[in-house]
Amino acid sequence: MSRVVVTGLGLVIANGIGVANAWNALMNGKDGTAELKSFDTSQYKVHRACEIKDFKIDTVFENETTANTIHKYTYTAAKEALKDSGLGDITGCNRERFGIAIGTLAGELPPFEYLLRNTPEDKTNGFDMGVALTYPPSSITTLLSEDFGFEGPNMVSLNACSSGNHAIAWALDLLYEGKVDVMLVGGGELIPQTEFTHFHNLKALAPEMCQPFDKERKGLIIGEGAGIMVLETLDFASKRNAEIYAELKGYGMSCDGHHMTAPHPEGAGAIVAMSNALSMANISYADVDYINAHGTGTPLNDRMETMAIKSVFKERAKGIPVSSIKSMIGHTMGAASAIESVVSCLAIKNNAVPPTIHYETPDPECDLDYVPNEGRETKVNCVINNSFAFGGNNVTNIFSRL
Amino acid sequence: MKKKAVITGIGVVSPLGIGHQDFWNNLVSGNSAIAPMECLDLSKYECKNGAEVKGLNPEEYLGRKGLRYLNKGTKFLGSGAKLAVDDANLEIDEELSNHTGIIIGSSLGNFSQTTDYFHDIVRDGPSDLSPMQSYDVALNSSINYVSVFFKMKGFARTISSGFTSGTDAIGNAIKLIQNGKAKVIITGGVEQISLDLYMIFYLRKMLAGSDGAGSEISMPFDKRRNGFIMSEGSYVFVMEDYDHALSRGARIYGEISGYGSLFTGSRNSDIGKRVEKAVNTMKSCIDDAGICTDDIDLISANGNSGKLSDLIEAKAINKLFGESGTEIPVHSVKSTLGESYGASGAAQTASALLSINNGLVPPTINCEEKDPECSLNIVNKKLEKEINTVLINSFDLSGNNSCLVVKKYE
Repeated sequence: MSRVVVTGLGLVIANGIGVANAWNALMNGKDGTAELKSFDTSQYKVHRACEIKDFKIDTVFENETTANTIHKYTYTAAKEALKDSGLGDITGCNRERFGIAIGTLAGELPPFEYLLRNTPEDKTNGFDMGVALTYPPSSITTLLSEDFGFEGPNMVSLNACSSGNHAIAWALDLLYEGKVDVMLVGGGELIPQTEFTHFHNLKALAPEMCQPFDKERKGLIIGEGAGIMVLETLDFASKRNAEIYAELKGYGMSCDGHHMTAPHPEGAGAIVAMSNALSMANISYADVDYINAHGTGTPLNDRMETMAIKSVFKERAKGIPVSSIKSMIGHTMGAASAIESVVSCLAIKNNAVPPTIHYETPDPECDLDYVPNEGRETKVNCVINNSFAFGGNNVTNIFSRL
Repeated sequence: MKKKAVITGIGVVSPLGIGHQDFWNNLVSGNSAIAPMECLDLSKYECKNGAEVKGLNPEEYLGRKGLRYLNKGTKFLGSGAKLAVDDANLEIDEELSNHTGIIIGSSLGNFSQTTDYFHDIVRDGPSDLSPMQSYDVALNSSINYVSVFFKMKGFARTISSGFTSGTDAIGNAIKLIQNGKAKVIITGGVEQISLDLYMIFYLRKMLAGSDGAGSEISMPFDKRRNGFIMSEGSYVFVMEDYDHALSRGARIYGEISGYGSLFTGSRNSDIGKRVEKAVNTMKSCIDDAGICTDDIDLISANGNSGKLSDLIEAKAINKLFGESGTEIPVHSVKSTLGESYGASGAAQTASALLSINNGLVPPTINCEEKDPECSLNIVNKKLEKEINTVLINSFDLSGNNSCLVVKKYE
């Protein structure tokens, strides 16, 4: 069984497009939050989101409907990741050993919304040929397969806010099994008005900003974007002398089995996910240098996650930097854990951790080192990346320096 | 030595009946579930037939509590899962719940409820909507519901890969049993008929009758075939690590011993390339099961009555199986059941397991004027035959080709 490594990264997030821009923005604590522009929010109490700005479409779309698809982000990030890994051209490779797994929460809902918004009397107005082609979530991976000529297995992970980590875990198993050499994995999301309304009416949206772990935290800010990475077996990477960011050491899954929308109050499922990941990776809790938190900025999640971290990391808990980049790029839902996986690899590469911004008032219930407001240079050899989704669906991934 | 993944419970919510006995009786009798659809107003459209689930009483399986907040897909999946767990005579107690997960394939999940919710937003404004209206509208909320219903602690995963979703979910579940991530996995597929499902197939002219000529029925491998009939339902299995099943003395329906999946090729691919990809997928699945083509007793075809897809499948079977490709029995459950999209591979899996246990192959009805280009041994009358090993084909013209091998338990 060959080990599995990360050899390429791609990012499209609200504070930066492209890995170099995005990492720079994250380390400098740049907030991507602004007035939401893609639909009218006058009927809502919240008007802010982390949208992608100044985006130039680098792909050809058949019509106006398909131009609103997730593909514009996943394609851009995938192209960057493949180029970065040196697999931009796979001529001569066995394409059946190149697969794709992408996570999303809402899939291609925005093209439908775009059509129906203007003619809301009849639901069938939301469908045209463009929507008919892109609506099934599998269109996300089909388009990427066609773009890059991959012919291996495909999967779209519909697992709410842990979709990206599920896709990465699924791909790791395929690579370990020896069925594939390379997997393009990650997540993509747009901001559908439907999800904005859903979070708004659950009173989960913060009015101004996302303040994870702060005593005054008021909820999440919705975001969009894509994070993509190239995973390959160490054998395959070594043969072609690829540069390696990190090793994907394992994952831990669990579900709360508790409630459709609220997390388990003591973080039982989160504890199991982190513990399972450490155990699959054969890494001691004492060897983790950075925790990329789920940290949504909602009162329930951040308290629960803090309790769970304390339970797993015991006496080490207060000594490990824990940060939430959702403070800067919002909660990108199905893409979030994939984007955070990319950032976890960058933390290892750069020996630095991005901050949790908007952190002002300590919460006695959240008493860890959240890397407040300023990025930090520190030795990072091993990172865990948490994702805890609605319905109690938890996946934690572990990356470490090879 | 890999662990074996065996099936110990089958739960079916289908247009051919609720529970696997009714489903099987109608399937082997060649009773069609295809009729004008009642749940959609299709007065403006020419394609009107479908295969709907009728007579499901979810309260019988899920109780009354919270039922009114659940949508159709969740009722299908919840009822199917309860039927499967009861059929397996399995009690998921606190200890076992830590080793129990769920992996379900669904192409659209609850997407049509999500779009209904959006329709409400733009028609009525967002402020009047109560949070309970979005209680069960996430694409994966059906799976979450089942994980909460059984208090599972292992994991919950929804896989969406178009027509192969259910097959890919079962294929993933085998691997997680084999590598010891779980002792029990609730797996299978679910799909629901909705206006959304209808619109995407209708606009793409994939439905039987959408060319304006011919009958609106499912005619796999018949030269008159002109598209598929949409269907719905849930097909859910209790998959167990063989040792676990043995230790509790469970009844074993069969083993899922192989899985293979490849991308079908781009939409510009010619038929030759598509045939090649289908061949490679079947081959990789048979290799994964550690058997050879001669061991296959029956092929459960994708055969959904699509003009191009049936032709590609027939040519691929001929190519892979050589001379025996024209002799090996091939059947399609979609002649009576219709095309249940992301759930179809799971429906075929249920049929394959029941074929193995009953020594019967359900007929492919309406295959009367065989397409000379599809030179297969199509089983068009109920066939009595000992079945040990079944190859299941699940093909998506713009996505994956995926296959499973289902084997008699020995």
